[in-house]
Amino acid sequence: MASRSDASGMLHGTLDALILKTLTWGVRHGYGIARWLEEATGDAVPIEEGSLYPALYRLERRGLIEAEWGLSELGRKAKFYRITAKGRRQLAADTEEWTRFSAAVSKVLIPSGA
Amino acid sequence: MTFGRRLRSRIWRGSVEDEVDAELGFHVEMRARELEARGMSSADAHEAAVRRFGNIERVNATCRSIGKQRDRGMRRTEFLTELTQDLTFAARQLVHHPGFTIVALLTLSLGIGATAAIFSAVQAVVLRPLPVPEPSRILAVYTAFPQGRGSVSAGNFVDGIEPVSSFAATTAIRYSSFNLADTAQAERIIGAQVTAGFFDVFGVVPAHGRVFTAGEDRPGGPKVVVLSHRLWNRRFGANPSVLETQVRLGGQPYEVIGVMPATFDFTAQTEELWVPMAFTPERKAMHDEHQYQVYARLASGATSERALAELHRNAESIRVRYPKEAAELDFAAAKVMDELVGDYRRRLFTLLGAVGLVMLIACGNIANLLLARATARSGELAIRVALGAGRGRIIRQLLTESLLLATLAGAAGIALASWGVQALTAAAPPGVPRLEQASINPLVLTFTAVIVIASAIVFGLAPAVRASRTDVQGVLKEGGRGMGAGVAKDRLRTAVIVGELALALVLLIGAGLLIRSAMALERVSPGFDASHVLAARLSLPPTDYKAPERVLQTFEQVAAAASAVPGVRSASLTSQVPMGPGGNGNGLIPEGKPFDIKNSIQSRLRIVTPGYFDTMGISVVRGRALNAEDRRGALKVMVVSESLARALFADSDPIGRRVACCEPGPDGKSPDYKTVVGVAADTRWRGPAEPPSPEFYLPAAQIPANAWDWIQRTLYVTVRTTGDPATVINPLRSALAPIVPGVPLFDIRTMEQRIGASLQTARFNTLLLTILGGLGVVLAIVGIYGVIAYFVTRRTREIGVRIALGATRRDVIALVVRQAVWPVGLGVAAGLIASVMATRLLRNQLFGIGPNDPMTFAGVAVAVTLVALTASFVPALRAAGSDPTDALRTQ
Repeated sequence: MASRSDASGMLHGTLDALILKTLTWGVRHGYGIARWLEEATGDAVPIEEGSLYPALYRLERRGLIEAEWGLSELGRKAKFYRITAKGRRQLAADTEEWTRFSAAVSKVLIPSGA
Repeated sequence: MTFGRRLRSRIWRGSVEDEVDAELGFHVEMRARELEARGMSSADAHEAAVRRFGNIERVNATCRSIGKQRDRGMRRTEFLTELTQDLTFAARQLVHHPGFTIVALLTLSLGIGATAAIFSAVQAVVLRPLPVPEPSRILAVYTAFPQGRGSVSAGNFVDGIEPVSSFAATTAIRYSSFNLADTAQAERIIGAQVTAGFFDVFGVVPAHGRVFTAGEDRPGGPKVVVLSHRLWNRRFGANPSVLETQVRLGGQPYEVIGVMPATFDFTAQTEELWVPMAFTPERKAMHDEHQYQVYARLASGATSERALAELHRNAESIRVRYPKEAAELDFAAAKVMDELVGDYRRRLFTLLGAVGLVMLIACGNIANLLLARATARSGELAIRVALGAGRGRIIRQLLTESLLLATLAGAAGIALASWGVQALTAAAPPGVPRLEQASINPLVLTFTAVIVIASAIVFGLAPAVRASRTDVQGVLKEGGRGMGAGVAKDRLRTAVIVGELALALVLLIGAGLLIRSAMALERVSPGFDASHVLAARLSLPPTDYKAPERVLQTFEQVAAAASAVPGVRSASLTSQVPMGPGGNGNGLIPEGKPFDIKNSIQSRLRIVTPGYFDTMGISVVRGRALNAEDRRGALKVMVVSESLARALFADSDPIGRRVACCEPGPDGKSPDYKTVVGVAADTRWRGPAEPPSPEFYLPAAQIPANAWDWIQRTLYVTVRTTGDPATVINPLRSALAPIVPGVPLFDIRTMEQRIGASLQTARFNTLLLTILGGLGVVLAIVGIYGVIAYFVTRRTREIGVRIALGATRRDVIALVVRQAVWPVGLGVAAGLIASVMATRLLRNQLFGIGPNDPMTFAGVAVAVTLVALTASFVPALRAAGSDPTDALRTQ
């Protein structure tokens, strides 16, 4: 995970990982993902809503998630996303990477015994 | 691809644009609703939702472009997945039906292999450009004679061709054989004396050393030689140190200054060395001794039309300046490539066409096999259609099978072709230019790939389309027996064999015409008796044999020594044996007609020693042969051929008449007359297929001194033997060695071999076309057999009923054979019509018959009809012999 910020103002790749994580709990449409991210991260991770969609399309193109059309809770036609096996493997790798990255940063920023 | 993704692509049939609009619209709407639920007004909520979303246009555009990439990738994946499925399925089909697979692969790979082999010959000989810069700008320039094109004289070259401004470079060439002698044994080598423009005309730089320059082709210039790559390899072991050393050519030392690249050996027959040729002022003044080949390269921007116009203008001014020697002079020009390839373009393309027809017949057979198989497979296909496969999908799957089959056959075909090319080059008559360079190269591979794809479509498309029309319900109801579209399928299969038969007939008629021509050629009397005659050439080097008297004396000694060889019945010498290149020509004018070039009869000169007519077996039909009394000082005499006698004197008696030829009279101005003492039978000296043309014979003892230069002091030693002529070769060599030490006999062949060589090309073509015709007919017959046998299998039940109801064997056989009568009749008729047009291509190769020879047409038509009906007899007999109870029990 490169330490570069993308348009959403987050560390690059973080949004992808968060989306994948969201989808591990079940099938969701784009708005549902946005809502879930809002609630789960609070104000700590500000996401510009629009930036979610290019990320979704990119993940779909890479075969990490797949989409199908279905009916939303309100009876409207909506595009639902589901994580693929490949997506789960990617998420596992991203999580591990993130853990290592944050541990390293923490060690520098919060020296033990300080 | 997972099932979900494929399902999605099935359900979402809209464009990516609609997809993105709907998805983003849904998001904004959901957000607005939520805000509204928290108490905002509808308008405020929507505005807030849009604002929170961010730059919706940019997001929309980004999503669309990613979405499009996604769909492209998906389509590709889908295509590849389906292709893999189809290929796997096709491979399984081929493995499960080994009989079909083996027959189809054998037929196709033979067809593809033969086509590729012939194409590689066409490519090597005809299509490949000469390996020189801009070969299409090199012209061969000729003197235009009433009888055709010929060589150019030095004077006309210097005055008429060199000054043409449309030419960037010009060269005059004189081919001759050189006696190359160094430490190794002496060897005759075909070389060329060329003016310095030669290397500019062809635009090829030497691989080693240099070529000679304009300063070196003047009289008395340095003796230098440029070697061909082939000679350098063979004789000097490709050793670069040969440069600047001396070699002995015709007894004189020449300095080797350069070696040309290997690509400059255009053909296996081209000259092997080049020496500069210098025109002396006297030579430059000669306008009527036509003995040089001329080539020219067009200047940049010039066209051959413009060059030809200039040549015509120059010819006119020469005509005016030299009314006597050049009264009717004109020039002609042709692209050098066309001259090199000559008649082989048509011959090879005819062969390629023939092999293409065989390939089409082979495809017809495969198509018929596939049609029969499609019936058997209709159950399987119906199930696929019932499961939702579209027509296009079924066609694609079946074409993939055809393509797999064709590709496998193509691979085997390439292997066959590489063997075929070797066989072809080994078996082909010598002299086919550049054939030895034929190989399986990338162009041949590309051509084969095209053939593979085209054949898969030709034999696979109709069966695939037919199969895709399967009547699903009908087939499934019949329990997969597939009797659905029976009649229509039979009609298609019948049409295929009609076509096959027609093509096979065209091939066989072509072969038949060539065979009949060959038979007619065998019967032609060449005008001489070739059996037991050996001829070999002997060339006296001008350095050692300068004086004409010494040349004559030496040759007379040679004739005497040859006569004394045991086993030799008679021996004599001639400047030109029949079946040779033709030799020198002179214009002859009978006494009494004005001494004007318009009255001259162009005739071939044969300089002979006494006894030549006996040795060669040419009968003297009137008067006497030439004998030892015809010496210098005696009456100057000649013998004319029958056709020359007619041309000179019509029907009156030629004996005792006088003819002007060959040299000026004693005063140097008036004509020199020779008295006709005999008339000899015409010889077909250009080969049995060519009509005789005028020839005249002069005694060697009476020829003008400079005639030895015309023939380059070279004569054929001809001997008639009592036994096998080959056995006297070595005794002859040893008998002549003491008389002409160090001068080798060369071009040693019997006259029968020489006739054979002149017929070799025709024989080879006949053989190939006969093989192809035979192959075509066998394939077509197999096709007919297949269709009729299939008919019998399909009607087993019906035939059983008929037999049970009292039909006789004859009735059953008639019923079956009748099925073959129509297609055979139609096919033969169509083939006859097509042959009328196709055989025109062979016109130049026919002898004694026309391209629409009724005997050949009728014979082939009858033979093919009989054989085809016989092929249908086999299944008919089987049907007639079938047991009705068995027949009724099946199905």
